[in-house]
Amino acid sequence: MSALFFRRTWFKLLAVIAIIVGIIGAWIGYDRGFREHPQPDWVTATPEMRFKYGSIGAEHDAGIPYWIFYVLPRIFPEKLTQDGKIIPGGYAALGVPWEQGQELPSGFTKKKIGFDRVANNCAVCHTTTYRASPDSNPTFVVGGSGHTTNVEGFFRYLIDCAKDPRFNADILMAEINRVTDLDLIDKLLYRFVIIPITKKRLLEREAQFAWVYRKDFPDWGRGRDDAMNLTKYFMIKAPMDDTFGPTDMPSIWNLKKYVWEKGHRMNYAGDSHDPQSVIMDSALGLLGAAPANKEDFVGQVKWLKEYLSALPAPKYPFPIDTNKANTGKTLFDANCAQCHASDKTGTTLALAEVGTDRGRLDSWNKGAAIKANQVVKEMGLERRGLVEEDLKGYVVAFLDGIWLKAPYLHNGSVPTLRDLLEPAAQRPKVFWRGYDVYDQAKVGFVTDTQDAQRIGTRMDTSGKGGGNQGHEFGTTLSATEKDTLVEYLKTL
Amino acid sequence: MNKVFGSIKEITSPWKRRFVILFLFTIVIPMIVGVWLLNRFIGDTPVDYASPTEHFKYGSTGGEHEMGFPYWIWRTMPAICPQHLPAGGYQSGYQSLGMIYEKNADGTERDVPVGTSKRRYQGVDRVFLNCAVCHTSTVRAAPDKTATLVLGMPAATFNIKGFQEFFFRCAADPKFSKEYILPEIQRQGGDLDLLDRYLVYPVAIAIMRDRVLALAGRFDWVFKQQDWGPGRVDTFNSAKVIFNFPMTHLDPKELDAPADFPSLWRQRQRKEPREMQLHWDGNNTTVEERNKSAAFGTGTTPPTIDLARIRRVEDWIMDATPPLFKDFFPIDTKLAAEGAPIYKQYCASCHGASGSDFTGEHVGQVVPLAQIGTDRRRLDSYASTLAVNQATLYAGYPWRFTHFTKTHGYANLPLDGLWLRAPYLHNGSVPSLRDLLEPAAKRPKTFYRGNDVYDALNAGFVSTVAEANGKKFFRLDTTLPGNGNGGHEGKTYGTELSAVEKTALIEFLKTF
Repeated sequence: MSALFFRRTWFKLLAVIAIIVGIIGAWIGYDRGFREHPQPDWVTATPEMRFKYGSIGAEHDAGIPYWIFYVLPRIFPEKLTQDGKIIPGGYAALGVPWEQGQELPSGFTKKKIGFDRVANNCAVCHTTTYRASPDSNPTFVVGGSGHTTNVEGFFRYLIDCAKDPRFNADILMAEINRVTDLDLIDKLLYRFVIIPITKKRLLEREAQFAWVYRKDFPDWGRGRDDAMNLTKYFMIKAPMDDTFGPTDMPSIWNLKKYVWEKGHRMNYAGDSHDPQSVIMDSALGLLGAAPANKEDFVGQVKWLKEYLSALPAPKYPFPIDTNKANTGKTLFDANCAQCHASDKTGTTLALAEVGTDRGRLDSWNKGAAIKANQVVKEMGLERRGLVEEDLKGYVVAFLDGIWLKAPYLHNGSVPTLRDLLEPAAQRPKVFWRGYDVYDQAKVGFVTDTQDAQRIGTRMDTSGKGGGNQGHEFGTTLSATEKDTLVEYLKTL
Repeated sequence: MNKVFGSIKEITSPWKRRFVILFLFTIVIPMIVGVWLLNRFIGDTPVDYASPTEHFKYGSTGGEHEMGFPYWIWRTMPAICPQHLPAGGYQSGYQSLGMIYEKNADGTERDVPVGTSKRRYQGVDRVFLNCAVCHTSTVRAAPDKTATLVLGMPAATFNIKGFQEFFFRCAADPKFSKEYILPEIQRQGGDLDLLDRYLVYPVAIAIMRDRVLALAGRFDWVFKQQDWGPGRVDTFNSAKVIFNFPMTHLDPKELDAPADFPSLWRQRQRKEPREMQLHWDGNNTTVEERNKSAAFGTGTTPPTIDLARIRRVEDWIMDATPPLFKDFFPIDTKLAAEGAPIYKQYCASCHGASGSDFTGEHVGQVVPLAQIGTDRRRLDSYASTLAVNQATLYAGYPWRFTHFTKTHGYANLPLDGLWLRAPYLHNGSVPSLRDLLEPAAKRPKTFYRGNDVYDALNAGFVSTVAEANGKKFFRLDTTLPGNGNGGHEGKTYGTELSAVEKTALIEFLKTF
């Protein structure tokens, strides 16, 4: 009796201990691995801050553990390259729009889900920096083209690091311990779970990203991405083909100008119906997976749509010769307005008419649109979505804030507005993208000084998808008329 | 012991006795040894000093944790690798690098120089640099006078590039091994115990060698720079090393950017009533952030910095004041009074009302480079890519850096203790105040740095002597990259004043 009693008591005691240990373990696991904490208040203090640093939920699947993200440039500085050259500067070497005093660049979000993670939001590709001169600090324009950001460089960098045998717990932990004081649980988690899993997840990307390593394609360079191929290979997992359609990061201010009922379509080739669809699809691209929290995600998209619809295009910040600009307006009305200030604006123009590079057009198709819409629908997300039609050409651009949207044409193949008014044969064949000093004379960014060549990426218009032909409109105006017209364009 | 065994004997049951003996040998003795070893190796105890000035000279910033030399390695390195030190003449060891040794009360030389601290960490006494190594120097009124130690003044004699090079070269030297170092320790009177001699030091030597060689790649660029000479450091290229920027790929115009060590007096007035732009290019407005940034130079890292002890230094430099010129040399008060209005007209709005009153419209603010016209390398070395990265320092701590800003000129500094801050301009390219009041074309093209004998006439250190008592001074060539002595010239900068006016102005500046 008493023996049995003891055995039972022991058994109960053990069971209770096991349960308590289990609960504590589960709690620690949840707390340190999965528990979601809101971002600090300063992040959402203003809409602009939220746009730059606010999480859209990408940390769940696409997030890089903060301390890994932090130490990678210190361990693998030689892998931060552009045009085959090693560029010092940590992540700044990739041209990310980074405000001084901020822990992370604009478009990089930090959120604690168990542990701090870094992911991206729209601002990484949609924040413009410009400087009045080499001896000045940049102005940041949210919603503008991320013309300095080397997205492909960033993709490759993370994968290249993961492929290096030095990407291991010993080396990463040694560097992490030099910069912070993790507690024992975090140390163990990092060493035995977070680092190995991160390595594995990054290596898995390599296969998906195979086309960003293709030697027969030029680099995207700063400020461009192969947007529709990203959608093809990620969202609908299409097999790799030979198309290549690099495009400029677009500006996304003043989205209310797009009115679906008027036939306006979005994306360069008119392949998406409306702002809601574009924002949702782009955000899904950043998440890299179905949203972990659908309700939150839909809320983020809604907020972004409202914010970006109302966000005004930036005014030209430098002096404008008003008389000249007024004269320029008559030239604009005569030469440009029929497309760029008319019912045609925002609608698709046939490729034969505009004559620009067809690479972007060929990188997408009706079948892909149908599949992608299906994928998004299966996530339970509502949107008009991608246009399920054969594409015929490129959308006639709205010109609000055109001064800050350089380089020009969908593939960013023409450095300045003044160059765009030259016949294709006389436009620069090679120039450097992603340097942020502004060229007030030609309206665009400086693309060929020594600093521009050192900081920017080389753009060769003879490369695949990089043709600078087409849009040969207004190219027969006199030099004076062109200057005058450009002066007017500064006012838009 | 007998008592223990006696009591064991008293235990009657043989099994019990065997059990107790077994217990002693397997549990108690290993535990005692374990506790002893733990006690021997887990401590973290800096050597502390009650007085703030002693603490400034010898107190710890926490840099020994990461960078500390085991004490006896520090002591013996100069004897192990004399060939990697500058030819010293009457000075030897670390003194040949311009480090300063004070005397003990009994007249013997202290074991470590000013600007180094000691801490026992992980069972080894360690030595590394502190703030004073770059911010303390000596001054002599004449070659035959004794040197006065001045705390907080720029370390005009300390050759930090030489120190780094010595450190890396010696660690890479074949003689940097226990076979050479241990006998040298013994020769110098180091009475190592058995554990130290046969375990701790041999391991420490091997570890230090490995770690230094592993770090060597990050410091390779230093060897390729024009010599900074004593009193100067390439501050912000050094800061890039924290991030392991690939230095060989830097834009060449960012390199060769030496700057004079600054003085540390009167920090409160740089903070209140209005925060000044600190550093030569004014890239930070926060004294505490600037201090933590400088502390990286003493080997600290975010997890290992000793903030409480740095705080003591910060408190002291808030109100520390420079020694007065008149305590060393006479000042012609009448002449100085004639200089005062000239100063007020030409200098005060940028440099403050006096050496102790820093009011002035432009004091502590950056003047665009085009206006000041001084050598641009120090400015260009502070790249915007570095500025943004600095905002990641101390991530996760409440004092993460948030104030570093790329500027496009040099800051107007207050002039407290000006007489001891020679040579002048940010790169120390002009030997004396008198030379600074000449147009650049008439300033010395080359001169010598590192002499602590003062030239009261011209207000600067003696700069025309190449060698004294066997010690060679550093010949600064202003035509080399980073050494340009142009700028701060023209009518508004006083270079067109008459010789008489200049003399009066200099006399007034001696009152600062």
